[in-house]
Amino acid sequence: MKKSEQLTDSMFYIMAALTKPRHGYAIMSLIEETTGGVITIGPASMYTIIKKLLTQEWIYLHDGSDSRRKTYLLTEKGRKALEEDLKLRKQMIQLAETGLKEAEE
Amino acid sequence: MKQTKYMMSSGTAFSEEKDMKKLRRLSLKGWHVSGFKFMGYILEKGESSDYIYNLDYRSLEEDEEEEYFDLFSSSGWSHVATEAGIHLFRAEPGTKPIYSDRDTTAEKYKSSGVLHSILFTAAVIFSVLVAVIAWTAIAQYSNKWKTEGKYRLAKLGKMTFPLLLMITIIIIFVVGERGYAIRILASSIIGAIAVPTIIWCIISLHHIISRKTNENKR
Repeated sequence: MKKSEQLTDSMFYIMAALTKPRHGYAIMSLIEETTGGVITIGPASMYTIIKKLLTQEWIYLHDGSDSRRKTYLLTEKGRKALEEDLKLRKQMIQLAETGLKEAEE
Repeated sequence: MKQTKYMMSSGTAFSEEKDMKKLRRLSLKGWHVSGFKFMGYILEKGESSDYIYNLDYRSLEEDEEEEYFDLFSSSGWSHVATEAGIHLFRAEPGTKPIYSDRDTTAEKYKSSGVLHSILFTAAVIFSVLVAVIAWTAIAQYSNKWKTEGKYRLAKLGKMTFPLLLMITIIIIFVVGERGYAIRILASSIIGAIAVPTIIWCIISLHHIISRKTNENKR
């Protein structure tokens, strides 16, 4: 994936959760809790994305001592990619917000 | 001993969903799938309950298995069986699906691995060989009919093969994805060119060797 390419929503959620070391299931629960159960990540999607982020070197294995629940953390490269995408998403939201406000006036 | 029975798969690659629905129906009747068995599933008799089933394709290293299966069991999907990178899971109805977005769902079928593509290519090559043999057989019959004076039949025979070939190519392009169709055609061309070449080489080599031994005898 190129740097300019946008993150998928699932990737965005997972990377946001990995600003702290977390294992796969902890990521899934965090996302489900913070979105009030609206967004859930399926286990197969979760596993696919973890593998993808690892090969892209956006996350790294933080602690593999518990082979059932390995924890991951964002790399510097991943952090930059997330910040880059966050900027874009903020612009998206702003566009919608100002648009809606103008329509009200 | 537990009562078991066998259910044939209609080919997981072609009708995964159909298979999974059938397994659910059988679970309602008290027959629960417990594993894979040659081209199908093995079922065990138990109490009737409503379970939904799902497949995932992934080749896992030994040290990856625990993490992978833990993710599923934490989400309510219990592991039933695994064979050749195909994993079967079972859950209560209403459990959230194992794939939650389009991007990863699309990758599900791509990640089935190198073995899959080798088998696929081999299958196409063999199909082409069979087609060539069939073509030869049809041509022989046509020639026979021609000498017997059955011209119409002979013409029909000669037309059969190109017609079938055209229909096949059209079906491949209409039904399949473009990348898939190109792969099929590439494998077919390999089958049609490489295999006869190899056979030709072997025959030539055989001729050279047998000629040499004959010369030696003289």
